[in-house]
Amino acid sequence: MEDIKLMLVDDEERFVRTTSKLLARKGFRIFSALSGADALHILKGHNIHVVVLDVKMPGMDGIALLKEIKRNFPLVEVIMLTGHGTLESAVEGLKSGASDYLTKPIDIEDLTARVREAFEKRRRLEEKIRKAHSNLCVKSPEATVKKAGPGF
Amino acid sequence: MHHMENEQRYTKLRKMVLVCMILVPLIPFLLTIAIGYYYFTSALEKKTVAATSRIVDDHRSMIEFFLEERRADLEFILNSYNFDYLAQHENLERVFERLQIKSNAFVDLGVFNQEGVHVSYEGPFKLTGRVYKDEDWFIEVMKKGYYISDIFLGFRRVPHFVIAMAKPEESNKWVIRATIDTYIFNDMVKRVRIGRTGEAYLLNRDGIFQTERRSGGNILDEDPDFEKYRTKNTDIKTFTQTDYRGTEYFFATTWLKDKEWLLVVRQESGDAFQALTRAGYLILFISILGIGSILAVAFYLTDRIIHRMIETDTEKDELQEQLIRASRLAELGEMAAGFAHEINNPLQIIKSEHTLVQMILNDLSEKEQLSAAEEMAELTDSINQIGLQVDRCSAITQSILKFGRKSDTTPKNVDLKEFILDVIKMISPRATVNGVDIRLNIANDLPPVFGEAGHLQQVFLNLFNNALDAIYEKHGVQGGILEISATTEIGGMIKISVTDNGCGIDVENQKKIFSPFYTTKPLGKGTGLGLSVCYGIVTAMGGSMAVASEKEVGTTFTVRLSPAQKNNL
Repeated sequence: MEDIKLMLVDDEERFVRTTSKLLARKGFRIFSALSGADALHILKGHNIHVVVLDVKMPGMDGIALLKEIKRNFPLVEVIMLTGHGTLESAVEGLKSGASDYLTKPIDIEDLTARVREAFEKRRRLEEKIRKAHSNLCVKSPEATVKKAGPGF
Repeated sequence: MHHMENEQRYTKLRKMVLVCMILVPLIPFLLTIAIGYYYFTSALEKKTVAATSRIVDDHRSMIEFFLEERRADLEFILNSYNFDYLAQHENLERVFERLQIKSNAFVDLGVFNQEGVHVSYEGPFKLTGRVYKDEDWFIEVMKKGYYISDIFLGFRRVPHFVIAMAKPEESNKWVIRATIDTYIFNDMVKRVRIGRTGEAYLLNRDGIFQTERRSGGNILDEDPDFEKYRTKNTDIKTFTQTDYRGTEYFFATTWLKDKEWLLVVRQESGDAFQALTRAGYLILFISILGIGSILAVAFYLTDRIIHRMIETDTEKDELQEQLIRASRLAELGEMAAGFAHEINNPLQIIKSEHTLVQMILNDLSEKEQLSAAEEMAELTDSINQIGLQVDRCSAITQSILKFGRKSDTTPKNVDLKEFILDVIKMISPRATVNGVDIRLNIANDLPPVFGEAGHLQQVFLNLFNNALDAIYEKHGVQGGILEISATTEIGGMIKISVTDNGCGIDVENQKKIFSPFYTTKPLGKGTGLGLSVCYGIVTAMGGSMAVASEKEVGTTFTVRLSPAQKNNL
């Protein structure tokens, strides 16, 4: 199985630490961040597949971070995790591009299942993009070169 | 403090309303009565006075006519015969006989010469030869030619009065004199009938009775009250006067024209003004009745008004309090939701830690680094317990969050079985603490109902909590049974029954139990709104609600709801 690069973002340090251990045991490559800024920094340096994000955080809150991530790293799948499952925050999160919405406390099995789902979603998306690219390459190699760009 | 202020305010208000309620009708009422009384009584009084005056006038005319007639009789004799003729006794006798035929009031007849000698006399006494030269009446008649005496005893010692006339003949004057029968005269004067106590009598200018008075007063006695109504005025005079015996009389008096006698007609005031007194009593009676009814109506209406005001104010206060309580409840709900959220974070950590510990233990036992000792089994059990308890906490916070959720107001199909079980979850901690045995009998094939979940939750929470209250009151923390059943009835309605074995509700209270603000709970405990709101919710959903209860045995509340329409499914 491909290594899934997963980042946990939460201001609760102990939660991050223990959950990281658990997820690492489940075979994920775990990154962790205690704030939105940390998270963005890590995202710049690593090709993270899935982010699990606490909605309520001091400083930049989960929804703002989600928007930021989706703007800069559109392929990253984000799962929202919150202690307070209100319909409003769920709707807003999903509208802003979160792939799932979970309430605490969540079972680790549930969480891994959701992460895998999100990863699958991303993989399918990447596949589509790749296919589209190869089609483009056949039709017009120049455009492909233009579009692909150096960062991809 | 507030209560006392209110009481004072109501007392003041009550006084004001009462005063207005009394004065507004009372003033015109009293004015009407007073004006009516004045005009009515003065008219009556005038009528009485006028009637009495007329009687006096008529009576005087009659007496004067009588005296006038007697005088005319004597005048006729004087002019028809001469002194020498009448001086013969047999002639006088004949003349007297003829006179008596005309009027039997004459007692005797006598002839006097200028010297006052009784030359001839016809009558019951032997007066011939007596000399009257120095008698007052003789001097008077010689001077004026005509004389009517007061009543006097004279030589005969019997009360009588005389009429005398003098006639000049050649150089001499002679006189004839007749005595008038006092009994006839007396009867004539006395004969006036006015009411029960009316009487008439004559007084001379010194207040001596000339005729008898029915109510006491003999001829020639002096009237002790004469001074009080002595008058010079010849007109008819009317007045009210108290006599020497203390009785109040209404008087009408007038002087005769040709004789200085005062005719008095009098009647006891009470008798004279009997109609007036009766009218007075009637008006007094009407006044008392009127004032009484005005007071009664004023008191009654004021009581009603103030009572209504207090009721309205109390209702207003209760509503205000209710509003405050409701907003506090909403705040509390939000706070509870906040707490639940905060608790979820540590719960998550515990859960993660628990999973980690389990994993590590599993790894270790797989690698056979742990002996499967009895302690190991105990440890595993303990760790499992932690997991279970965390799940339990999580269920609690989830239900709080569900309750606090405000957005759930759009009506939708609600699966009753699941829904009721959810609500029971909320009250089960309390039931457990109070040792209440919850028995469920919910059919599996219940159709869904269409409604707002939040409202339905309120209905069932209320019913369950009421049941728990009743159970606690009766049984304390042991022996309570709460039975909740839900079935579909033959007509298709869904019937949910909530039965407790609590303290029960008496018949009187059962009637009022769904009305707003009605509560049997102690002050500050219940709002009295719970069941009325439930009733409102259920009836708005097209359902119905009923209560059946027996004191000290238990209560069953039954809610009937119609199933959701097929097109809503």
